[in-house]
Amino acid sequence: MSQRLLLIADSDSQLLACQALARSAGEQEVEIIVNAIPRPGTPTAVLAALGEIGPVWGFSLQQLLGNSRLDQFDAIGVYLTGSKLAEFRSLYHLTRRQQQRPTRPLFCGFNGVVLERFEEAIAWRLGYDLICLNGPRDQARLEMLLRHTPFSGQCSVLTGLGRNRPGTCSGASATERPLRLVFAEQVVMPDAPAERRRLLRILARLARRSPHWELVIKPRVAPHETTFHSVETHISHTLVETLGSPPANLRLSYAPLPQLLLESRLLATVSSTALFDALDLGCKPVVMDDFGLRQDLGTPFFAGSGLLQSLARVDDLDALAQGPDPDPDWLHWVGYHQDFSPGNLWRALGELSTSPVAPPHLQQSGYMVNAADLSSNQLRRGAEAAIRCGDHQEAVRLLEIAQLQRPDNRNIGRRLAALRCNNRWLRALALLVTPGFRP
Amino acid sequence: MKVGLICQADDGLGACLELGAALQTAGAAVTLFTTAEPSSAHLRSLPVIPLAPLEAACSELLAGLDAAGVFLNGSEAASFRQVHTHTASLRQQQPRPLFSGPIRPLCGDALAADLLPRLGYDLLVLQGQAQRDELAWLLHGSPQQGQQQELLGLWCLPTQPIGFSTSAEPVVLVLDQLTIPPSPFAKGVLYQRLRTIAQENPHWQVRLQPDSPLCPARVDNPGNDGSETSLAWHHRQDGQPPANLQVGQADDLPMALIQASACLGIASDWLLTAMVWGKPTAVLGDYGIRTDFNGPLFFGSGAMHRLADCSPLDRLLELPRPNSDWLAARGWAISDGPQRLLRRLGELAR
Repeated sequence: MSQRLLLIADSDSQLLACQALARSAGEQEVEIIVNAIPRPGTPTAVLAALGEIGPVWGFSLQQLLGNSRLDQFDAIGVYLTGSKLAEFRSLYHLTRRQQQRPTRPLFCGFNGVVLERFEEAIAWRLGYDLICLNGPRDQARLEMLLRHTPFSGQCSVLTGLGRNRPGTCSGASATERPLRLVFAEQVVMPDAPAERRRLLRILARLARRSPHWELVIKPRVAPHETTFHSVETHISHTLVETLGSPPANLRLSYAPLPQLLLESRLLATVSSTALFDALDLGCKPVVMDDFGLRQDLGTPFFAGSGLLQSLARVDDLDALAQGPDPDPDWLHWVGYHQDFSPGNLWRALGELSTSPVAPPHLQQSGYMVNAADLSSNQLRRGAEAAIRCGDHQEAVRLLEIAQLQRPDNRNIGRRLAALRCNNRWLRALALLVTPGFRP
Repeated sequence: MKVGLICQADDGLGACLELGAALQTAGAAVTLFTTAEPSSAHLRSLPVIPLAPLEAACSELLAGLDAAGVFLNGSEAASFRQVHTHTASLRQQQPRPLFSGPIRPLCGDALAADLLPRLGYDLLVLQGQAQRDELAWLLHGSPQQGQQQELLGLWCLPTQPIGFSTSAEPVVLVLDQLTIPPSPFAKGVLYQRLRTIAQENPHWQVRLQPDSPLCPARVDNPGNDGSETSLAWHHRQDGQPPANLQVGQADDLPMALIQASACLGIASDWLLTAMVWGKPTAVLGDYGIRTDFNGPLFFGSGAMHRLADCSPLDRLLELPRPNSDWLAARGWAISDGPQRLLRRLGELAR
């Protein structure tokens, strides 16, 4: 049975997740349209790559929610940051109810490996019909979090870490590729300026010890682009600041990562998901072990990979290229295995359409879930709805929670003060002149 | 069995004193190695050798022990093991069996960050099945997956009430943490909300209690009312605070909790003690599940409530008990922790 899906994303990371799904859909009877919510700084290369796979819309969230074309889809995948994920789910159901239109299954997921704050991320995603996870590792952690809670019935599906369609690897075999290592830079791993300088010094020394090789640093974003994390000092500045004049065989490249990987023998990283792109594209990956297993670096994820290597201590890049391949059990554990692919998602969505399973109720006494209308935007929106219905007590309750979360937001304070006026005429006037919520 | 306990920081000291007392009761001879200053009462109960951790790591004195427990933070714990192993190697001696573990009820990222520097110890001491599962998950397939561990229960929490009854007038103890929420403005908003609740509930005492380490080892704990991010500071700025809104003494926390009718907090470890002691406990959920607010720990507790739902305060007395499966998995199901530890140390010493 063919399926028509809409994927909604904003930041570059989320768009990359959609790109992986869209690529996989090409071989199945699945048609995917991606809606890239307009956002300044989104890399044009990411949008262009999406456009090559299929249609790309550019509606804002508000435009989308009111769009009757939502009915054309069998399911909607939402790839937004935490609070927006919950907000979309809530508003989607609300507008559908108001318009007396049917709802479609909603699913969400993660882009690449989840290195930290997994529980917080799940607390925003609960209530979706399906949560896409990478592999058994994520599933085990989800189970640990939800066991003994009323949310243990939350449905999830394992969609794997293969991000490039099989067959994309049209590059030369490893031995025919140039002697080149790509280093996939991450903007916050490591985060401390001193550690970022140390990282560059290690790479520079490795380049000097390997004069026949080229060492290419691929920055996560160009200086004018943005990603999920804010970048204070771009790696290009740190490079000049740390090395002055780097070795001739060390350079930065802003070429698309897949292209670089297809033309390189090695990929090195601290903890980037690019490691799985490298595997897809026939490039041998190495995980930089020089900073040790540290939670803040995400390196514990790779502990069982067999790929940890000290770039400071290795003789040269020839020696690095002789290193071991990834441990197959570890690949299966994290989700890089044929058992885990978007095909599982298409199947699960098909089953949902024939045998719907209601997601767990999020309002449970004694339990708090971020997704249960607990973002400040949702609270303010709920308060305005309560004001319109004349339920000022409920509006105060919601705004008080919003104020605890956003104490610096003056409009919340003004609105609360208006609601607390005892005189009904004064209150009505105050509500008229104080700004309501406008997303 | 002769056991040494090594610590430095205040909270490590408090946890070691708790563990030391429990091990002594179970029949072990315990010596504390620390340069921190325990109170005179604690000194009487446990012999102390005033050595800094790394001095202890290479001290001949360790050779006289059957095992040593190292309760230092992060990289200090890793350094201790390296120094001790290296020193023993230079002396052509066997290093003493070393054990270590988290001294707070941690979970998720915080637990992983705490455990990683302790990998390689002869024995990791964990609290409950939840931490054991997380460790197994963290090390799955890695060279360290054979790491030995044992469950000791909630050893780092004061869990034995000392016989005081609750006060005649209902009292809600509000645990005041300096760093949660972290900004003075946010703390001010929370203070105002609590002030309103106090005004609306005149038959209740609302006590703002400075949070402190789980096992405060010293009596000169300075408290935190000098900081703008404490509720106590906002109380001091309040020209006319309600008569039933009071600030507790920093070193008074255990006694204040024993006497309280109910307990309220956001992320304090003492919330677990309150639950174990059977106090009606509300973990404020208004901030949601946030990693930096320790939200993941309390996610499954069944004790998270919004502040608005706690007023009138009489509602606190009707709160359902926390999720018993969750509490058991945190370590409350383990009642013979010291015996388990001594048994495992005996095996290691052989």
